Amino acid sequence: MHGLAKSKQASRGAVKMGKEAVVKQVTKRNFQEAVQELKQRIFESDFISISTKKTGSFSSSSSQSRWRRVLPIDTPQTAYLKAKAAAETFELFQFSVCPFRINSSSSSSKVVAFPYNFHLFPRDEMNLNMPSYGFTCHTSHLMSMAQEGFDFNVCINDGISYLSRVQECKAKFQSTIPRICSITSSVSSSMADSLFMERIKSRVQNWRNVHKCSNKNKDDPLVTSLRKLILGGEVYGSRPCLNIDVCSDHQVQLAVKVLCLLSDDIVPLIIPGKGGGPMAVKVVLTSSSEDKNVLLRELQNLEEEQNRLIRGFGTVIDVISSSHKPIVVYNPLDAEDTGIKNQGHNVLRITRMFAQLSSVLKITPAAYEPEMDDRSASLNSYSNIFHPFRTVLQDQIDGEVAQICNMEKMSTENLVFLWGFRGVVSAGVLKQKLQGAHNVFDFECEDSAKALLEVVGRGEFGLGVLEDGLKAAGYEAYTKTTTEYRLAVEDCPVLHSRSPTKEVAPLPSRIARETKDD
Amino acid sequence: MRKQCLFRAICKTLTLRPRHLCTAAASGGGAAVKRVTRENFAAAMEELRRLVRASDFVSVDLEMTGLMSAPWREAFDFDGPDVGYLKVKDSAERFAVLQFGVCPFRWEPSKDSFIAHPHNFYIFPRKELPVDGSSYEFLCQTSSMDFLAKHQFDFNTCIYEGISYISRAQEAEVRSLYSTLEDKFRKYLCYSEEAVDGDISFSSTSDVFFTERMKIQFSEWRDWIAQSSSGENNFDRSSEDSKLKLQTDFYKMRPAVVLDGFSSHQLRLIKLVIRKHFNDLALVHTDGEISGKKKVVYTDSENDKALLMEEVLEDLRKEREAKVQSAVAFRHVVDLIASEQKLVVGHNCFLDVAHIYSKFFGPLPPTIAEFSNRVHKIFPHIIDTKHLLKTDLISQNLMKRNSKSLSSAFALICPHVASDSKITLSVPRQYVKVEVQTDEAGSNSGAKHEAGYDAFMTGCIFAQSCSQLGIDFKLHSAPANLAEHEKLQNHMNLIHTTRCGSTILNLSTDTVILDPSYSKYPKLVLKNIVVIWGFPSNLKPVELKDYMRKSFGWDSVTMICFLDKTAALVQFSKEELVAEFFKVRNSLEKSNNVVSVLHPLLKVLEGGNTRAGDYETYKRICGSRISKALFADQAEAMGIEWEVVAPETEKELNAGESGRSADEIDGEKGLESDRVSSIERILNSLMSDESRHKKRIVFRDSNGMSYVGNLIRLYSDGTCMSYPNLQGFK
Repeated sequence: MHGLAKSKQASRGAVKMGKEAVVKQVTKRNFQEAVQELKQRIFESDFISISTKKTGSFSSSSSQSRWRRVLPIDTPQTAYLKAKAAAETFELFQFSVCPFRINSSSSSSKVVAFPYNFHLFPRDEMNLNMPSYGFTCHTSHLMSMAQEGFDFNVCINDGISYLSRVQECKAKFQSTIPRICSITSSVSSSMADSLFMERIKSRVQNWRNVHKCSNKNKDDPLVTSLRKLILGGEVYGSRPCLNIDVCSDHQVQLAVKVLCLLSDDIVPLIIPGKGGGPMAVKVVLTSSSEDKNVLLRELQNLEEEQNRLIRGFGTVIDVISSSHKPIVVYNPLDAEDTGIKNQGHNVLRITRMFAQLSSVLKITPAAYEPEMDDRSASLNSYSNIFHPFRTVLQDQIDGEVAQICNMEKMSTENLVFLWGFRGVVSAGVLKQKLQGAHNVFDFECEDSAKALLEVVGRGEFGLGVLEDGLKAAGYEAYTKTTTEYRLAVEDCPVLHSRSPTKEVAPLPSRIARETKDD
Repeated sequence: MRKQCLFRAICKTLTLRPRHLCTAAASGGGAAVKRVTRENFAAAMEELRRLVRASDFVSVDLEMTGLMSAPWREAFDFDGPDVGYLKVKDSAERFAVLQFGVCPFRWEPSKDSFIAHPHNFYIFPRKELPVDGSSYEFLCQTSSMDFLAKHQFDFNTCIYEGISYISRAQEAEVRSLYSTLEDKFRKYLCYSEEAVDGDISFSSTSDVFFTERMKIQFSEWRDWIAQSSSGENNFDRSSEDSKLKLQTDFYKMRPAVVLDGFSSHQLRLIKLVIRKHFNDLALVHTDGEISGKKKVVYTDSENDKALLMEEVLEDLRKEREAKVQSAVAFRHVVDLIASEQKLVVGHNCFLDVAHIYSKFFGPLPPTIAEFSNRVHKIFPHIIDTKHLLKTDLISQNLMKRNSKSLSSAFALICPHVASDSKITLSVPRQYVKVEVQTDEAGSNSGAKHEAGYDAFMTGCIFAQSCSQLGIDFKLHSAPANLAEHEKLQNHMNLIHTTRCGSTILNLSTDTVILDPSYSKYPKLVLKNIVVIWGFPSNLKPVELKDYMRKSFGWDSVTMICFLDKTAALVQFSKEELVAEFFKVRNSLEKSNNVVSVLHPLLKVLEGGNTRAGDYETYKRICGSRISKALFADQAEAMGIEWEVVAPETEKELNAGESGRSADEIDGEKGLESDRVSSIERILNSLMSDESRHKKRIVFRDSNGMSYVGNLIRLYSDGTCMSYPNLQGFK
């Protein structure tokens, strides 16, 4: 709760960079106001910095999926696939946005930042199993968030939900709230159609008359309920209504056409079915034109509320993306353990760092004009270039894999994917053992990759050297493990070593592996 | 928070005694539950030890981060026991336990009442040791988290203050790691060449210079120490230190140099220098492995050096032991309940028991029979109150038409505990009194879906049910024999495996029985089941049934169960229809003539993504570690296409099977000997068969029982694998 109290101070306006910088904490309770405010700030800003907090990452994973972290040896494609898998596995709990201005007026360049920290939680607001059915957490990540004083209760109780744009379309499609319908002009009608229209007309008229009369003299409840039973009428809010079943958009159009001609005090609504198509037309009877306006306003509010729920945090992303401002991001991996007891400070650190970097790069504050094209060329050469590798080989700092890190360029043709060995603790030991096993593991000669695959395929080297069956395949197989999740979950995908690119072992043995690994 | 403070304040004003006593009825629905976190764990544990030892039974309840990793992994009534177990196994392996409720109940003859001590432990799998367990990575089901949040679950307490735990298997792993490290350390002491872990390559000239510099510095320092200790001049550190770059310190009464500000590579070089050139110097880690400093210590003899190393080793051992104990933390509670062999009571506790096993003991075994066997060894007496209520007529009568949830059962079975009103005496039923006791500090009023309070409710239901079974607590004097009470034996160790309770697992015999009272659905015949997935998304259950009937006859389908919108289980009335189904599909795929275009099954195959398999396929998919939200995606991710069990396709499936070892035959243990002998007979006949492929075996014994779902795979090396859970049907 302390977060909210703080946010009141923060909402005053500009926060000067300093140790006591206050970050505005945003939850679903103050989301709407915050977005409006943020829109304005973004409009006035020169740059926007962004930082996130995830529930986990493959690099801090246990042995089970640790190999899925991005390695320096990965090609960009493999790295992307791994990043994709990570994005699909973990969730964002925090998204900090900080639009900032670099004041060009004063002689010493001063950064004015407006940090916002959005708490996110993938709550299923619409009961659609979206945005996510479940997500993975790493205790280490949660602990490091805890060290910064992250409030998990606020996050899970009041976190803002969100849907991706694709999910948004799906949600709209599946939404079951009634819509006001409009008539498209050209409704050609056949004989069957006019019969259908006549039937609706008489039914609705009848129903309307009954209700108009019953409004005047009070019936006893028995009669009312009997009438309700016979007419099939229901109540929409406090107003009487009638459902007309339809089976196509065409019928909807016909029904609406009839209803509009019939009377002014009825409002036809489309009730969408689960699949997205229309299920029924609901006819609501209003008591007066004022009442009708009230109803229309209510419906509009309902739709806005619905849209708001569907859009959720997506609004912020849209605001940022449509602003066309440069976005500054820093891989937050190193910045996490600084122990500052406040949330969302990373984004400020990024801002500060960027300002520092800018001065190092000798970019004058004057160069920062809101217009995109006017940006200094020196900065331009850095924009839109990402560093795909978040991890260094931290676990092997002992220098055993120095060879790998030192390699500048290598062809994937010369890479061999080895697996299936157990009880080998380090790269050095593996290398030693392999070299002892067969002279093909010489690593020095040309085309040794190809030769190696052949040898392993023929099963020519002494299996005794390695405790378990060693298997080998080309780089393609490795990429495949990343793309195809079915291989990804197993420590030891069983592939045939002879022709690594295509042949995949029949399933039963793969499954056998899977169950055996437990 | 405020409510809790208020409650505490009231407690304080009401009682001046150190132990606060209040009957549950007086506290207005929620009984006082002791809240245990890291902070008060040690004290609470001491107390709990005493309480559990004195108790007649202990009730438990768990709160998890989720139940299912995908909607189709929900327990369906049509799942056979093996699939039911696989689903529970998947859940227990993926999700974390956040709260563990423990409530010891003790009969107090002087009060004619049970005394309950509800405890609510906040636990969190904090990583404290270098074990590589999957427990540090867990899944959260969004809806479950939301559910917990709605019931005021305190996630902050859990993550900030939750008590850690490691399983017995993890503890064994870490201990073996430590002993390996110790061995390495000893080798290092012995100066054996093998201990040198890999050659260090002097990759640059700077390394050579560094090594030389270090050699000189250490040699100067050593000489200086040797000089001063020989007594020629007193330690005149100030004058000497200015010359020396090495700062002298003391370690275990010996002069030492702190190695500060070196990179790990440099430290390795130093280590090498010391080992090569200085017999009387030793490099040691001090004060903790990670945070501690590295020091080079001077020893005046080989003996002294050995002594120093022993001292260092002893320190390390102590430190590691303390770390292990602190990491085990919450498991002490579970170990306590297990070692006391107490009667454990849970409500619908199949999943809870699976969680307890996987979190505190070790990885879950692959089959339900083995699981049952292992659990029974740890907890010899388990009562599932869900099962107890189902078999008790009075309770059934009370509960009909009401929701079967724990809290509603509690309100109905134990109204005297659940509500304020003291209507107890006006009702003819004999109520068992329950009194709640907690110390005033650190307790809060329990609410449903809080593990401690749920455990309390479960225990109350059990106590009341016992009385309804005719157990008179007033007569029963020695508390230890409640678990042995004859009237409980019919319910002992029987737990429900599915939500609606169609199957019951008997932990004493490791067998699964179908609930005889359960007749809502047609009988489950696993061999008649086909799993179909990937059909058009708008296909409705009625339509599917209709198309199947049109294709295979009006009475061909006995039941259809949709797993999700992409998959369904279809049970045919006859086993032959399963083969027929695959045959028709194959012929439809091949032929393109006009007649086949009109075939009703085509409606199911429409879109070209429809796949199907038999019950074994379904089981395999459920046993997979992958979890996709939709069943069809899951099957695709596993690369499962049409799985036909018809004999002609068997041969294709067999390549590359030899990787499977014989250890999977274990499951046969649960079989009676005559069944085993008949299996042996069949195996023998198969061994002589040249084809040596997997076969589907259906056989009948003398009683006319037929056993199904028994696939035996034979490999060229003579090993075989049998699906263990034979299910007999008349």
